[in-house]
Formats: sequence, structure tokens, C-alpha cells
Amino acid sequence: MGPAFPFDEELRTRAIMDLSLNEEQKMIAESAAVFLQEKCSTAQVRKVSETEGGLDRALWQEVLDMGWCSVALPEAAGGMGLGWRELVLLQEQMGYHLACVPFFDAVVAVTPLWQALSQTGQGLGVVERLAASGRICVLGMTVRGELTATATVKLEGDELVLNGQWSQVGSGAHADVFLLPATLPCGSLGLLEVHAKEEGLSVQALTTVDATRSSADVMAVNVRLTGAAVLMHGEALRSLWAQTRNLAAIGLAAEQVGVAERALNLAVEYTKERQQFGKAVGSFQGVKHRAAQMLVKVETARSAVYAAAFIADSADVTSDLSYFAAQARTDATEAALFSTRESIQLHGGVGFTWEFDPHLFFRRAQASSQRMGTVEQWRELVAARLLDESVTEAA
Amino acid sequence: MKMQESEINEAFRAEVREWMAQHLTGRFAPLKHASGLGAEGYDAQLAKEWEQELAKGGWTGLGWETLYGGRNVPLAQQVIFHEEYVRCGGPGRIGHIGETLLAPTLMAFGTPEQKQRFLPGILAGTDYWAQGYSEPGAGSDLAGIRTKAHRDAATGEWVINGQKVWTSWAHESEWVFVLARTDEVGASTASPRHAGMVLLLVPIKQAGVEVRPIRQITGTSEFNEVFFDGARTEGALHLGPVGDGWKVAMYLLGCERGASTLGQQAHFRYELDLIIDLARRNGAARDPLIRQRLAKADMGLQTLRAHALRSSDESTPFRVASVSKYAWSNWHRDLGELAMDVLGEQGELVLRDPAFSALQQLWLVSRADTIYAGTNEIQMNLMAERALGMPR
Repeated sequence: MGPAFPFDEELRTRAIMDLSLNEEQKMIAESAAVFLQEKCSTAQVRKVSETEGGLDRALWQEVLDMGWCSVALPEAAGGMGLGWRELVLLQEQMGYHLACVPFFDAVVAVTPLWQALSQTGQGLGVVERLAASGRICVLGMTVRGELTATATVKLEGDELVLNGQWSQVGSGAHADVFLLPATLPCGSLGLLEVHAKEEGLSVQALTTVDATRSSADVMAVNVRLTGAAVLMHGEALRSLWAQTRNLAAIGLAAEQVGVAERALNLAVEYTKERQQFGKAVGSFQGVKHRAAQMLVKVETARSAVYAAAFIADSADVTSDLSYFAAQARTDATEAALFSTRESIQLHGGVGFTWEFDPHLFFRRAQASSQRMGTVEQWRELVAARLLDESVTEAA
Repeated sequence: MKMQESEINEAFRAEVREWMAQHLTGRFAPLKHASGLGAEGYDAQLAKEWEQELAKGGWTGLGWETLYGGRNVPLAQQVIFHEEYVRCGGPGRIGHIGETLLAPTLMAFGTPEQKQRFLPGILAGTDYWAQGYSEPGAGSDLAGIRTKAHRDAATGEWVINGQKVWTSWAHESEWVFVLARTDEVGASTASPRHAGMVLLLVPIKQAGVEVRPIRQITGTSEFNEVFFDGARTEGALHLGPVGDGWKVAMYLLGCERGASTLGQQAHFRYELDLIIDLARRNGAARDPLIRQRLAKADMGLQTLRAHALRSSDESTPFRVASVSKYAWSNWHRDLGELAMDVLGEQGELVLRDPAFSALQQLWLVSRADTIYAGTNEIQMNLMAERALGMPR
């Protein structure tokens, strides 16, 4: 008897996925590549990292104007009504160019929330007010992608009083609005809309190893809110979060593929030019073979990401995407780590300098590897489901 | 529209399963899950009869044009057939060199007479083909072949002298296609090393051809040495232009991808399930490092599947397609090592239980994967030079 498999096996092993890009998708990817190529040179990225704390405001405004932030929002909420297949294409480009905009934190990671809120009239109002406003809204999740329940909300008259701390909130230093988890007076977990300027909220910007991205510790001391600040709570929030973790992991994986590919391209370009022993070092097999191994990881990880995005778009909202998220995330993390490490190596001495670019991608790859769960955690999740659960026969 | 397409696909899937359940039974039962020659229960004669059974059911030449007797089914259904075939326990296909390599090359380069003569036998599972490419002095460097062909001035026949090696299934085949050097350059525009070659279709069962099986690290024999000593074939049996055999030979190698590789992956799935099942029973599943490796293997196989689907289209860029062979062969070799680590202490013994011996075979057989059809090193050169444009 074969092993029991509690993931949806039909979905996992039998879906005939068309992973080719349609004309619209090709256009999205190409126009993003052309636009970011122009706006996001590594010189610009360095300038923004060093002087602007990792946020390119002009670029963010242009990204908003082009509608990239509402690609996967429903049309009812003013979005394009597209999906994860399109979002991952944009994310790849964001990673490839190390764009200093909070596209992951303020667009990709919150898209499932906006999509869920758009289901009701009241929620739609929230989405229009927050998602479509251009304000930077970020989730107060942990680096590993969890919602903690340690912050509390007390009821005082009609007001809610929030106290708590949220550490290393991604893009937190530039957020206009925080979406913070806290335990409500009824005991269930709620997600609260808290504006950065709210009295009692303090935001402590942190210095990051990957300076293209900001982070902040957030603390609330008796922040007073109305009941409308609770955007979602209880079971609805729990199931939203289960999906958000998977979808955000897929989105982050796409960005990692972009990072991996850029590190590979930098190494290939450099080794074609660099001469030693009277010829280009890229003609030596030891160098070629390393580049080829990078390519294998980049292209297979990209296939895993496209497959996961395909499933995310075609599966029922209740289906378990965790297997596909794990697959995309582990492949892309390994591709980004391997490719950026080897890119430094293949650059030789200059790879160790601040002046050359590989370290920018090396930093991003390392920082992203810890976000939304590590390779080991995702593998253990899959291992537990593959190996531990007993066979449950249908009654 | 999507719905409709998926309904058609599901109906096709049901058709495959039903046919397999009805036919892979009785006298064919010993072939169930047998991976190929040398595997437990794999009797070559029975496997040929099984191919004929498949042909009668209309399951050979699925992607061939109807003009050639095929069914011309869409790619999605070819994928479904190959995957369901293995899930239903379908054995390794003995006719794959003829059906997936030679046939498309015949369609592209063959004369009308050659197509008429050879395609029906391949489709019906009555004629089997071996591939005569590698030689003792020409492995990765295939252009180094020395086997010679010339025409007999009296009869017009081709006469072949030389030696081929690693010829899969030559001892079970009727025909071999032989890449040889000739003095006739023809209209070839190939570089000097690649000019003056010819691809010949040669009957194996003749006095001038001797087949000697090679005993492999598995202890069994799939591969052979084939000696040509004045072997003959008809003057009209060169495939494609004389002098341009290299181009034809390369086209044939390019046929080795697409839907049929998904059947191979379905077999990998079967092997991985055996390992997972064993790990659950023998306690290896409690080892945290083994757990990581099993999860990695499982997801790695799904990634290979996604990659094969992404690159099954003929318009796939070379950059994407070029990584496939390296990716699957190294995944499979790692799986063989994982199988032995899950077997653990028992792995040092020659095991009689077929469930265990299959895993030991996997460990040994998979060492060939990163060597044949372009070694890892050759694959990496191709990726670096042709996909990434690195200098030669």
C-alpha cells in the first residue's frame, strides 16, 4: 500500500498546468522589465539605500500610477481583476532590479486581505480607502510570517485601547498604516487598522543588512481606536491567515527567482569580459559549470513558482496551497542563496568589494531566506504530512 | 471553455485507466511496475507482446499525425496517457527508441518508401530499433566516430565496418540506426569534423553483425557492444542526405523530450512512494535529516513535473529546455542515495524481497542517468555556451 497523502493529490500530481505566458502576461513582464531597467539602476538603488532609508518615493508613485498595486484586486475594488500569475511576474522584476519600493510588504502580502474584504460592501469601503489610496499599508506579522496574539485590546466605553509590540515589521519604517494583530476583549485574535501617526504608536526604524528594504519595531501604548479599526477577527482571520502565508510565500519566491537570475547574469557578463591567462575566464569549464548549475536552479525554481501561481489562481479558495507554497519557496530560496553566493565567487576579488554589485543581491537573498518561514520549516511541514499522518479511510 | 477541456481530459484519463485495468492482467500481470530490461519480472518477449497489445488498443503513436497512423492527440492528453500508464503499473517501454526517436526523424527526413516500410512496424510493436551512435573512442565527443560505410560498387549496397558501444537493447532489436563516416561528402555544408557522415538503417540479424552484452554495475545487461564486420544494408537505406548524417543524428537526439519524459517521472513517483512507504515502516521517517531529504525529494519531483510542463511546448526557449536533463538525472541519482539511506543497515545485504531489491537497483541504475545522453559535464557545457553565451 502506498503512503497516505493528505494534500489534494489530484491537484498536486495530476493538474495539467499550462505554464506558458499569454500575450497579456508577456506584456506585463516585458513592460515591467523595461520600466525598471530605466528607473532602477543599481546606482539608483545604492543612492536610495544610503540616503533615503530604502524607499524610492518617486518610483513608488510611478508604480502606483501604472496600477501595479491593484493588479490582483477585484474590479469592484478598482483593480484589474488579474491574479497570482501576473503578480509573480511583477515580483520577479522587483527582485531582479532590487526595486526600492515595498511591493512585497504593501502589495503582495496584503492582497489576500484586500481580496477577502472585497467580498462585503463594508469591506469594499475599507479596500477603497486603504488599498487604492497609495498609502503604504503593512502587516504586523513576524519575520517568519506569523500573527502573534501577545498584544491586547481593552474596551473603555466605546473605545478600544491597544497595547503591544510588533518586532521587525517589514517596510515598517515607511508605513502609513499598520495592520496589527491583537487579542480582542472577547478572546479572539483581531486584525486592527492603526495609522502610523496615531497617538501612542511609536515606530522605531531598524538598520537592515539589506538596505534596499526597511524594517521597524512598532509599539502601541494606550492607542485609542474605534470599533471600525477591527478589520477582521476570529475564524475568518485564522483562515485568511492560512492562505496569506501560502500566497505571500509564493510571491516572495518569485522575487527570489528574480534575485537569483540577476546574480547569474552579473556573473556571466563579468566572466565574459574578465581576462586571465590570456582569455576570458568565462571560457574555463570550472566557471562555466558553476554558471550552468546556477541556471538549473533559476529555471527550475521559476517553473515551481509559475506552477504555484497557476494553482493559486485556479484552485478553490479553501484548497490547501501549502504544498505548492513550500515547493516554490524552498526552490526559490535555494536558487537565490546559491546564485548570489556563487556570483560573488565568480567575480573573484572584485566580488568582495563594495563597488561591485553582487553583494547587494547576496544581502537580499539572505534576508528573504528568513522571511515567511525557512527552507527547513517548509520541508518539515511537508515531511509531517507525508510521513506522520495516519491513513484515514472514508467511512 | 476551460471546464469543457478538463472534462474531455478527464474522460480520456478514465479511458486509459479502464483499458489498463482490463489489459495489464492475466499473462501480462508479471510486467506490472517492471522498470525495463534487467528488472524483476521483465521478460523481453512478453514485453514485446505487451507493446503489440498497446498498439491494438491505439496507445502507440499517440502524438503522431493520422497520416502516419497516429491519433494526433493534444499534448495534454499525451501527458495524461504517460502518467496514467505508469500509475496503472505499466512496464518500461521497450519500443521507445523506435517510437520516440527514430519515427519523428523518419517523418522529418525519410523518403516516402522508408516511411511506408518502417513506421507501421514501429506503430504495431513488431519492429524494434537500437541506436548505434557511441563508440569506444567516441562518447561525449560523438563526432570522433570511426565506423566506416562505403557502397559496394557491384550491388550498390552499403557496407559497414566498425564498432558501436552502449547500444541499448541491441540483443532484442531487429534494426539498428548507425552513424558512420563515408567518403561521400554530398552537398553538406557542415564543418570538416561533421561532414561526410551518414545515418544508415541496418538489419541486426545478419552475419556481419555481432552483438555482445555488457555486464553493468547492476549485474544485468541492457547495453551491448555491436561489431560490424562487412555488415550490409540496402543502398536506399540512408536516412536523410548522404554526407549530412550529423544533422540528421542531431535532430534525432532533439526528439528526446516532451510528453514521454512525463511518463518517466510517473515511474520516479512510484519509486519515491516505495521509499516513503519503507521509511514509515522501518522508522527512518523519525530521523529529522531523512525527513528533510524525503520532503525535498517529493517537492523536487513536483518541480521536475512543472518544468516538463513548462518546456513541453516546441517554442520553449533553449535556455529553459536546456536544464531539464541535468535536473532530472541528478534528482534521480540523489533519490537512489536516499533509498539506500532509508534502507539503512539492511542496505549492505543483497536483499531478496523485490520491494527492497528494487531500491538497491535504483541506487545502482541511477548512476547511469548522469552519464548517458550527455554527461553532466557535457550538459553543463551546453547550458553555459548555448544558453548563457559563455565563450568556448
